Amino acid sequence: MRTILTETVARLLVAPAFAVAAAILVKGYADVGDGFAAGVVAGLGVLLLFAAFGARATHRVLPVRRAFAVAVSGLLVALVVGFAPLLAGDPPFTHRPPPEEQVVKLGTLELISAVAFDVGVFALVLGVVVGSLDYAARVRKGDW
Amino acid sequence: MTLLVLPLAVVWLGAALLALLDGRRRFVGWAAVAVLGANVAGLAALGARVTEDGRQELVTGNWPRGVGITLAADELGIIFAVLSSAVLLVALLYEVLAGVRSRTFPSLVLFMAAGLTGLFLTGDLFNFFVFFELSMIPAYVLSVYGDQARRKIGAAFIFAVVNLLGSFIFLISVAGTYHVTGTLEMRDAAERLADAEPASVMLIAVGVFVAFGVKLGLFPFHFWLPPIYVGATPAVAAILSGALANIGAYGLLRFGAALLPAELELGARALVVIGSVSILYGAMQALSRRDVREVLAYSSIGQAGYILVALAVGGRVGFFAAVVYAVVNSANKALLFLTAGLRGWLVGAAFVVGAFSVAGVPPSAGFFGKVAIFQAGVAEESIALLVLLFVGGALSFVYMFQIYQHAFWRPEASAGGREPSPAVLRGLTLGLAGVVVAFGIWPEPLLALSGGAADLLAGDAGESAP
Repeated sequence: MRTILTETVARLLVAPAFAVAAAILVKGYADVGDGFAAGVVAGLGVLLLFAAFGARATHRVLPVRRAFAVAVSGLLVALVVGFAPLLAGDPPFTHRPPPEEQVVKLGTLELISAVAFDVGVFALVLGVVVGSLDYAARVRKGDW
Repeated sequence: MTLLVLPLAVVWLGAALLALLDGRRRFVGWAAVAVLGANVAGLAALGARVTEDGRQELVTGNWPRGVGITLAADELGIIFAVLSSAVLLVALLYEVLAGVRSRTFPSLVLFMAAGLTGLFLTGDLFNFFVFFELSMIPAYVLSVYGDQARRKIGAAFIFAVVNLLGSFIFLISVAGTYHVTGTLEMRDAAERLADAEPASVMLIAVGVFVAFGVKLGLFPFHFWLPPIYVGATPAVAAILSGALANIGAYGLLRFGAALLPAELELGARALVVIGSVSILYGAMQALSRRDVREVLAYSSIGQAGYILVALAVGGRVGFFAAVVYAVVNSANKALLFLTAGLRGWLVGAAFVVGAFSVAGVPPSAGFFGKVAIFQAGVAEESIALLVLLFVGGALSFVYMFQIYQHAFWRPEASAGGREPSPAVLRGLTLGLAGVVVAFGIWPEPLLALSGGAADLLAGDAGESAP
């Protein structure tokens, strides 16, 4: 239902939703959170857009059609990061740098290879959520 | 160590990459065949390693055991892993040769292979559930693959809902196991379940049985199965009955025999009854059908009953029979479902090999399945069980040859004006029939590996028995 109220609330909440998602994504190493939860929160942000403005308007502001590619790329990133340690003879999902070694820090974000894995999971979850939303919107509208 | 992960990594990455491409193009199909071939080769190499050096284990991320996720390959897991991937490979090859009809088909088959490979090679309960879902989701999509997808939606919907319910019950059982034992590592869980409170463990055992009973298509949980198998294309039916159904057999063996041996013993009588009803119900229904795929679908329900009966008999001889029978049954079903879609010279020969194997006539592999089952019946020293096994075997003989005659010997069936199928497809099914006969003539590898798996399970059961 499109009313001035829903549209305003959606406009106000979308940016914070993405900001929260980014925070959950990077905080996962020191605090609660990970790529999966971040992907779901970002997906909820997109759901707000779909619900308040409809599929057409959402397509204008976001590359919704790329959702599938985003999901698969995310999966590929996660798998490559997960299985890459095999090349060095380590078990899968061994992270670099290993525990108790010096880590490059950006503020509170610690740059370890597991971050790349979670970014992959984030993209996978976001892609699947947005793709499913778009599919559901198309089925209901019937005109896309 | 690398060998343990490589088959999984190859097929998973391949699936994700091929998802981006249009599967209807020939090179994508062949690339998928190559990836799956590499997976089967890797698993076979791993199998050789397991038979030589015993169980292979690995904890991800160099974490201590109990913290990281365990991957493990033993005889039981590897035999089902090789079997399922090989069936998927044959079905994929069949579909690529026949012409893939949807852009997602090759990648979905690879995703299912990744799920099954992971499921058979994990030593962690929750990971088992994750890979279980990873192999089920492609199955839901594949069940509407092919022409007239709209007509299949009803059956596919029931299939998805029933199996999701099964998954949910399984997830509850996994959560229950964690609650009771405080671990998700299968071996630790097995040890601690033996000392846990019996009532809670029984509840977990019942949940696990329902979940895998649904998957295997055992009698009271079978109703989703016939419409799906009948509506699916030959390759998809072969995938569902030859590869996916292995989850049920493997799950019952792994959870029943290795994790919950005391509960398995306690429920043995009930399992024999359910298995017997499955055998008779499947055979009776199959006997009354005239459509090849319908007969095969009901036959699957009956064959699942044999696996359950063997499991309930238990001990080395019972577990051995269950493993051998599950392997042989899966190869038979793959062969028969692929052959059922074909017409032309030598198709009947491939079909009759499958029919022989289901009925347990030498020199097909099915003979050893039946022998193992009868040995289990003798070990149980129950005349009623032996009579049941004999009647079930006789009925399967009757319905298989009835349908063989109906499909291949009637003049209108063979000269129905339909074009013969492409020679490559007929060659492929004939090759598969050759494999079934080869395992009947030279069964040592199968019997040795199954024997190893049975020793493993019987040992586990012996250890935790009071």
